[in-house]
Amino acid sequence: MAYVRGRLRASVDALEHLVGGLGTATLALGALLWAAIVAVTCLVGVGLLAVPGALRAVRSVADRERTRLSRWGGPIPTPGPVPAGLRTAARDPFVRRELGWVALYSLTGLVTGLVGLALPIYALQDVTFPLWYRLIPADAGAPGIVWWRIDGLSEALAVGLLGVGWLAAVIWFSPVLARLQAWPGRWLLPPPPGVDLSLRVAELTATRAAALDAHAVELRRIERSLHDGTQNRLVAVNVLLGAARRAVRRNPDRADEILGQAQDAAEQALGELRTVVRGILPPVLDDRGLAGALAGLAGSCAVPCRLEVDVAVRCAVSVEATAYFVVAEGLTNVVRHSGASRADVAVRRERGRLLVSIEDDGHGDADEARGSGLTGIRRRVEAYDGRMTLTSPPGGPTRMDVELPCGS
Amino acid sequence: MRIVIAEDDPLLREGLALLLRAEDLDVVATAATPGEFLAAVDEHAPDVAIVDVRMPPTHTDEGIVAAVEARRRRPGLAVLVLSAYVEQAFATDLFSVGAVGLGYLLKERVGRVEEFLAVLHRVADGGSVIDPEVVAQLLARNRRTDTALSELTPREREVLGLMAEGLGNSAIAERLFVTDGAVHKHIRSIFSKLQLPPDDHADRRVTAVLRYLNGDRR
Repeated sequence: MAYVRGRLRASVDALEHLVGGLGTATLALGALLWAAIVAVTCLVGVGLLAVPGALRAVRSVADRERTRLSRWGGPIPTPGPVPAGLRTAARDPFVRRELGWVALYSLTGLVTGLVGLALPIYALQDVTFPLWYRLIPADAGAPGIVWWRIDGLSEALAVGLLGVGWLAAVIWFSPVLARLQAWPGRWLLPPPPGVDLSLRVAELTATRAAALDAHAVELRRIERSLHDGTQNRLVAVNVLLGAARRAVRRNPDRADEILGQAQDAAEQALGELRTVVRGILPPVLDDRGLAGALAGLAGSCAVPCRLEVDVAVRCAVSVEATAYFVVAEGLTNVVRHSGASRADVAVRRERGRLLVSIEDDGHGDADEARGSGLTGIRRRVEAYDGRMTLTSPPGGPTRMDVELPCGS
Repeated sequence: MRIVIAEDDPLLREGLALLLRAEDLDVVATAATPGEFLAAVDEHAPDVAIVDVRMPPTHTDEGIVAAVEARRRRPGLAVLVLSAYVEQAFATDLFSVGAVGLGYLLKERVGRVEEFLAVLHRVADGGSVIDPEVVAQLLARNRRTDTALSELTPREREVLGLMAEGLGNSAIAERLFVTDGAVHKHIRSIFSKLQLPPDDHADRRVTAVLRYLNGDRR
């Protein structure tokens, strides 16, 4: 059973990749056509001016494919903008490989993508054919690439059987097709040896700075919540105690009332302190692992929250703490801003990466620029070389996907 | 005494109002934001404002900015600024507009009601008060770099701190269990070591001390 489920999930993933690949292949075809036109006009001289634009277009399509492939398998770093000036651009090792990739991929990517898309469509049509074959004239034959005449139920059932065959083909071949489709990109888009290292150094420097930044932001957040919450509460306790002491002599009844208020304030201080401490590095993470810790978060969330955790092997502590932080902040946002009536949290580990997604059915329109916790989440995630994507159209739903390298 | 309170934390705001009203002081308005506070100052013409340093929107120094603005609109207004932690930069900003009827106090002092009320009255009467913590911080910072400060005896440093709190000679004498004459001698010695103009008026003494501690020796 688990095997079947695994195969099904793999083929659904593969279909998703094939459709995405079809998109980049179409873009690649466009970029290839443009590059070809520019190349032809170059022969008469006027095209030279358009060369940088064409190279930039190729780079942007290639970067899109890099990002797509990085989401799925091993990460492929992006080389940054095309160097200015024709000569330097021509010497750039990426440019030549990208041109080769565009030529190859605009063909193979389209073909594999179309075949990959056609297979499940055939399967669906043929499997359901016995249900609706009466609705079409017998001469029209069956859908897809079936060539015989349909005279009765038995022929229709035969077509349905063929559909089952297509379905098997989808399950078996989609992953192969998806790998085939990705192959030109995996071959030509990574930096050539030697270049890779310098890119990686630049990226590490940037993420290290981001880590320090995220650290400072985190400290500020803790300081703010300690100051505005706990400390103010304790000051209030102090003020109320002072007032109560003065009242004891003059008006003991009043003193009791004030002492009651002081106790309320002390309880609030304790509550807020608990929240702050839990936000730093929840002890529960050590005791019960990510699944247990997240269950606690989901259980105490004011919006009903469904949680699905599939992490068989534990990740590095810092990664787990970050995932916990992401979910905690994400759910806080859901409660505060989304107006949602439920939230779904899913966490799973796949190919050395921890994937976290939070989705709600609220009114959407979340905006990172408006200073919610989203910027904090992005910074903290990027500090761990992770990735965060947010989709939140007006009217909802809002979905946040975070991907973290497990570091173990 | 008509009082306006500006504090964004509701519990603390109400606690302060309760405390002051129980002492038969007239709290005419409370405000949660700098905007509300300035409006209340315009409307109620208070004698004293009690202002929290950190207020919305950024929770940094909005209270100080609002206090300075309130003083500009209503020059006779006494202002007592409350802060959750010692930050001498805030004190410096605040006292840049003069020291008459100004105070800067740590929030937790409010719990010692008698002393807090004494400070409130001192500020309302035009005196100046700086929290001993702030003075201690300034002293510690400047002592390493300043030879004149390091020449002060421990007793003189103590007297300097109490001067900054706005205490007069006899009050200082009472706190230190010495005679007025002894205090007078200490102060003369401090002023001469720090090369400050001798002056017995309490507010001018605070200004002088502050100015010296901030390293601004005009």
